[in-house]
Amino acid sequence: MTWILPEGAWLQFEAFSTPVQVVRGLGSGSQGQVYEVAVQNEALALKWYLPSCIARDPHLERRLAESIRTTAPNQHFLWPIALLHPTADSLPLVRCRPAGFGYLMPLRPAGYVAAVEHIAGRIAFSLGEALRAAFHLAEAFHALHSKGLCYKDISLGNLFLEPGSGRILICDNDNVDVDGRDLGSVLGTPGFMAPEILMRQAKPGADSDLFSLAVLIFRLLTRHDPLKGKLELAIRCLDEPARRRLYGEDPVFIFDPDDARNRPDPELHQAALVTWPLYPSDLQALFLQTFVAGLKAPSRRALTGQWQEVLARSLDRRQLCGVCGQETFGTQPACWHCHTPLAAPPLLHTPHAAVVVSAGNALHAHHFNKRELPALDRPLARIDPHPGDPALLGLRNLSDRAWRAELADGRMLTLDPGRSCNLAGLRRLETHLGSVSLSQPAAAATAGPLRESAP
Amino acid sequence: MPSFPNVKLASRPLHFIYLCDCSGSMAAQGKMQALNQAIRQSLPGMANVARDNPEARVLVRAVRFADRAHWHISEPTPVEQLVWTDLQAGGVTAMGEALELVAAQLAAPPMEQRALPPVLVLISDGQPTDDFEAGLRKLMRQPWAQKAVRLAIALGHDADLEVLQAFIGPASGAVLPAGEVPGASGEMPRAGRSPRRPLQASNATALAQYIQWASTAVVGAASMPTSRVGSPEIAEGNIPLPDLPPTAIDPMDDIGPVVW
Repeated sequence: MTWILPEGAWLQFEAFSTPVQVVRGLGSGSQGQVYEVAVQNEALALKWYLPSCIARDPHLERRLAESIRTTAPNQHFLWPIALLHPTADSLPLVRCRPAGFGYLMPLRPAGYVAAVEHIAGRIAFSLGEALRAAFHLAEAFHALHSKGLCYKDISLGNLFLEPGSGRILICDNDNVDVDGRDLGSVLGTPGFMAPEILMRQAKPGADSDLFSLAVLIFRLLTRHDPLKGKLELAIRCLDEPARRRLYGEDPVFIFDPDDARNRPDPELHQAALVTWPLYPSDLQALFLQTFVAGLKAPSRRALTGQWQEVLARSLDRRQLCGVCGQETFGTQPACWHCHTPLAAPPLLHTPHAAVVVSAGNALHAHHFNKRELPALDRPLARIDPHPGDPALLGLRNLSDRAWRAELADGRMLTLDPGRSCNLAGLRRLETHLGSVSLSQPAAAATAGPLRESAP
Repeated sequence: MPSFPNVKLASRPLHFIYLCDCSGSMAAQGKMQALNQAIRQSLPGMANVARDNPEARVLVRAVRFADRAHWHISEPTPVEQLVWTDLQAGGVTAMGEALELVAAQLAAPPMEQRALPPVLVLISDGQPTDDFEAGLRKLMRQPWAQKAVRLAIALGHDADLEVLQAFIGPASGAVLPAGEVPGASGEMPRAGRSPRRPLQASNATALAQYIQWASTAVVGAASMPTSRVGSPEIAEGNIPLPDLPPTAIDPMDDIGPVVW
């Protein structure tokens, strides 16, 4: 690898008072190279553009400068921090002409892996984590679009996932632009690009972002491409003209209820066929909305707020199989993994939601207040298994306020912050945001839970 | 621990074939060693690209040609399992026969029913001594060869740029009359660097950069769509080719000193 910035070199940049040391090259792509750098003992990332990239994209510098002024929409972005032009003294150290420029951004923390690792099945990433990642992705685009910005070129290549938490990071934010202004050259990536962009009938913006977002969510949830079914199998050589047909001229969603031409193949497209039925119908409906009517009509695509609401609600329905521990979401009579029939689960009722009682599920502010946007990063309470007996579930108060619990035998107790109470004995909980009641499924109250699942 | 349903993922093969000139002149000034090194050094990067593209199965083969053409690696080998055995120089330049060998393998079968565009990389330092035209005609009769990304690397100033251009096809993207062999009209490659023209390597560093580019950036472009910019120029060929590697230090000229 030929690095444009020499490893170990100290560089000075215009209007940037501190020297920057190039620690090591991290990677290179078609646009430029990325380095780990040290700025006053802080480790940051530096992206340096190739001259060809700067030449192709005359407004790149202006967009970056504006993004830096605007600051990151939320914590899910590795957002540009500073634009860097070498000083006259440092210019000879930059090994390309014209030397060009770069920008500083936070370094991707350890623990985050490229989203393609999940798509390839090389990391442990559960259905629930995929739903959480999809939620955070919708949340990120909601924050971005709310600022009047658009991303233009989201694909699997710009997304990182944290296994275990489902948290995400979005990188390569250098195409971000004010929606509708089109101070950029990028169109997007085929397979993620909206059909009207691929066909050059429109410029990328927030509406085309909504299409790309839906594709990315679909791929996270199914590990399959929403437009690759039998029509793709009919293509011998998958090249540019073929992709144009598949994604632009005649795109058909593999689960389009009225057009069966592009159904998944039972052998080759198992991923889509196995995962799709696991997701609740309101989530499926958003895909249908975006990939059927919204395919040709950008204004009909599911909005970021809808995705957040429905993905959060899907997570509320998360139920663990009592035998193998796999996750289901209330759509299946039996576990997809071990085929054990699933019992109707007990529920926690809040003023605006019903959350399945299952280890790991949580109560959030949006469950109590309709005006709150759904958010997952500050749970008020979480269902935890008992450390000694995992079958015993407790509700832990994660808020900073004391709650009152009414037990089944009528006793009252105080649930202090950080404490948990046994859910088996709970009837009602008075929190500072509203009350929570526990309901047992009617039929399962007397019989054994596993024998009692509805057919 | 909850997990994700373990299902088979759909993927297509991407056949990557090196056609390596092993004529006697390759022994001069370390060209043969430089090519062996360049390919060997490029393999980890190529494996990384294959890893980043789970929808592609990158399979590598190589043909060597001197007095005759032979498969150096005949089995389509997953890049992460590939072990490069050094090529030896000696003999003349049976380039036409090399193209015939590849043509036979691009017929369907043995080609799969569905695949990604194959990538063919022809590396030569001289002129064919057999019937190049016949070999090229046989190759280009195969639909998979027509769909293939065809790249050529010229080592040193004795390489026959005209035949290498004929292998790539017309640089202009002009449509040829039916039945005409691409490049057979004798048009000379124009000046300037372009992936649609023979890449001229006049030293080991340049060769290594081109091999690395072909085995990473081009494999990436052929296996998975990359970000597109709305540039006015019309893409030539059925796969938009990535930019050539930047020529560090001196961007105006070829990379480094002229050795070959």
